[in-house]
Amino acid sequence: MNTPALSVKNLSVWFETESGRIPVVDRVGFSINAGDATGLVGESGCGKTMTAMAILGLLPSTGVSVRADAIEINGRDIYNLNARQRRAVLGRDIAMIFQQPATALDPVFTMGQQIGAVYKRHFGGSQQHVRQTMLDALRSVGFNHAEDIAAAYPHQLSGGMRQLAMIAMATVCKPAVIIADEPTTALDSSSRALILQKLQHLQTRHQTAILYISHDLAVVRQSCHDVMVMYCGRIMETTDCQSLFSHARHPYSAGLLSCIPRISATRPPPISSIPGQVPAPTDLPAGCHFAPRCTRAETRCRQAVPELDDQNGRGAACFRPL
Amino acid sequence: MMRDTWQRLRSDPYGMGGLIVVTIFAVVAVCVWTGLLGQGWSEVSGNRYEGVSATHLFGTNLLGQDILNRTLFGTATAFEVGLMVTVCSTLLGTLLGGLAGWYSHGWLDEIILWAKGVLDSIPFYLFAAAVAFALQGNPWAMHLAMIITFWTTTARIIRGEVIRIKEREFIEAARAIGLPGLKTVFRHVLPNTVHILLVQGTIVFVAAINTEVILSFLGLGIQDGVSWGLMLAESSQEVLAGHFGNFIAAGASLFLLLMGFNLLADALQDALDMRRLPG
Amino acid sequence: MNTPTHAATPPLLELKDLSLSFQQHERVAVDRVSLKIVAGSTLGLVGASGAGKSSIARAILGLIRPDSGDILFKGEHIDRMNPRQLKSTRQRIQLVFQDPSVSLSPRRTVGQTLLEPLQHFGIGDANYQREKTAQILHTVGLDPSALKRYPHQFSSGQQQRIAIARALVTDPELLIADEAVSSLDVSIQAQILQLIQVLQRDFGITFLFISHDLAVIRQIADDVAVMYRGQLLEQSPADRFFSQPAHPYGRTLLSFARGQTPAGWTEEKWYLERSSNTAGKATACVFAGFCPEKMPVCETTEPAWRYIQNENQPTLGPHCVKCHLYNEANTNDY
Repeated sequence: MNTPALSVKNLSVWFETESGRIPVVDRVGFSINAGDATGLVGESGCGKTMTAMAILGLLPSTGVSVRADAIEINGRDIYNLNARQRRAVLGRDIAMIFQQPATALDPVFTMGQQIGAVYKRHFGGSQQHVRQTMLDALRSVGFNHAEDIAAAYPHQLSGGMRQLAMIAMATVCKPAVIIADEPTTALDSSSRALILQKLQHLQTRHQTAILYISHDLAVVRQSCHDVMVMYCGRIMETTDCQSLFSHARHPYSAGLLSCIPRISATRPPPISSIPGQVPAPTDLPAGCHFAPRCTRAETRCRQAVPELDDQNGRGAACFRPL
Repeated sequence: MMRDTWQRLRSDPYGMGGLIVVTIFAVVAVCVWTGLLGQGWSEVSGNRYEGVSATHLFGTNLLGQDILNRTLFGTATAFEVGLMVTVCSTLLGTLLGGLAGWYSHGWLDEIILWAKGVLDSIPFYLFAAAVAFALQGNPWAMHLAMIITFWTTTARIIRGEVIRIKEREFIEAARAIGLPGLKTVFRHVLPNTVHILLVQGTIVFVAAINTEVILSFLGLGIQDGVSWGLMLAESSQEVLAGHFGNFIAAGASLFLLLMGFNLLADALQDALDMRRLPG
Repeated sequence: MNTPTHAATPPLLELKDLSLSFQQHERVAVDRVSLKIVAGSTLGLVGASGAGKSSIARAILGLIRPDSGDILFKGEHIDRMNPRQLKSTRQRIQLVFQDPSVSLSPRRTVGQTLLEPLQHFGIGDANYQREKTAQILHTVGLDPSALKRYPHQFSSGQQQRIAIARALVTDPELLIADEAVSSLDVSIQAQILQLIQVLQRDFGITFLFISHDLAVIRQIADDVAVMYRGQLLEQSPADRFFSQPAHPYGRTLLSFARGQTPAGWTEEKWYLERSSNTAGKATACVFAGFCPEKMPVCETTEPAWRYIQNENQPTLGPHCVKCHLYNEANTNDY
């Protein structure tokens, strides 16, 4: 079997506070092969973004501690890197696409300058060569008038265009792995469709591995082959998208699915929801964190932590899966 | 809200240090005002330039006056100037800044901005001298000069903040039920500037004490009584002659109090930030 | 201009040819919008951001003055009311904003926030007000202990419940929800939608529900109105719209919402739409530039409103559309 493009083993993140360690990511492990896309789904505050930041090594060094058995890109360790080595990896081997391109881009530089700077930092080369690569990156996401976009400042572009330009910036070095954190949440439906389409093209063309982080199962269904459902820092279910939508095994996944409003020709029945709310990280219930909100919970769910099982590559961390 | 702020302030050692220093000076000032301390500041109680002794802990000055007593009295002067200037200029600045911000780009805003522009363009010490001259030895001339010039900074900050806040949706929510403008300002806008006012207040306090020292040094300041500024003015001759009593006593007090205030201001800024609340 | 009419019940809210210009408060312009909301029903107002949906909400609340056109509440002109009538009307129309983290006053407790409308409108004595706030908190599913706490001490879902409670406390007849669930996670969105369904069913509250998300609109709306660049293009009963959208823009929106690429939509159109000026030409159809079914007439003449008959669905209200596809020659299809 070939080495996965991104492999994360046993990753945990804690906040260090005066009242002790608060776990925010709990023993998360997964791998993504080149050219594949995996979704990490969960409600805000479940630890999705923390997982991404920990993989990139972008968490602050004080107040937060990170432990992992390994984080590897194409078999090369990126967990034990010093600051200088990490800077060489970020943007070249692994890149991130943010939810709000308006704040992730620097307003005083043109798109061309910002995209060019990323390439130049990692590969150098003549000004001519950098510019050509930058324009190619813009064209590869569909900008026919790449020169105009390169000359534009971020605020001159609409939200959808900015996100496309952001994708061009993330892919200019042709990284092996891209982490897309809620890439379409702030966009309208037509921009969303286009952005997801472009990311899929890049994924197949450059054999990039993409980790989609989203609270929206619809986005994940459209773009990903595999999906992980996260709750309170733990992976609750890991499976392929099709199985999740046809037969979710974890009650939390099933609950999330039932929350999605659907468009039907006839008026749909009243929507169902998961009762209660996500507990604060400082106040996590013992046993399975989802037990207090779970209709299937029994005594052992409140006492012991269920581990991910394995059913032909599909796993659910539940004592009483559906 | 106050309780949360206090809890966060208490966990900040630098801020607490600042608060303790400021409190000690404030207690001294109150004792002077109530007649418990520093009353013999003008009496000649010894020979000129006495050294440190049990009767004169900080020595004596040119006239044989006790430097400790004068320093203590100077503390009261500093607080009097600081408090008065801070309270008046903050009130004035909040009122005018709030009005200018709420009615931004209207005629009232124009007038307030124009007044602020004029005041900011006059060199401060020239202005203080002019006020002192115009009021001919009035003991409040210095205070007035400071209040007139210090409100502009507060007003500028408050105006910007009010403009920012009034675009927020909770103001629109208040307008949507038809709440009158003034009620909205007092209920929803100004309470959201309190944290800025408190920090700005400490900054003005420090600036007022500093300015008093400089103005007194220049002879434009305290007319009646003694202040650290006057002591430093005296010391400028004495230091050359090797008498450091005045200089060390007034300089150290000034340094300690301002340091304390600055630490407190920094800590307050953090403690008043609502978003840092846990949970 | 002719407006859609429901036959029997008088509308709770009616907009007649409402126009708002661009300059005011940097809100998006609105061009001759006419709408009716029947008491007890929910109208879903859909369209991309920048279509002018929020501007309409602000105009109904009197936060923006319309350039022309009328806003009628229970048949009364809002802009011709005396201050007393206006105050009592404002009590009957309340707004829920998109993002509760900025729509609640941060330095006021939940209790203060809920009491403010009651005190402002002089509803009941102190006793009544205390009971009312506690009761409303119960209605939206919060504990009475919430009264003494500040908004930032709640999760976003709870904050939106507080915002809804503030809107409900004056017993309004019309609630305007401006993207009220758009900033929430799906699970919290579902909970808030459930709450809205309770308000519709048990309290009989009329909703003007503004959203860009058709799936959300499908859950709760009885009627749908589609806006594009300040103009209304289609108005229809929800069941009709979601089975047979008539306007090409309505069809485009629905395809995207179903995760499909609409017929005739191309990437070039997407780029063009984002780079062209938002000001529509008054003489032609606003959607002409990006319409997959554009005809020559669309670039020269503004289409008029057409009714599409509902012969086989007599219980539904009228379906009307502003598109040249439905002039007399073409309506035979329906």
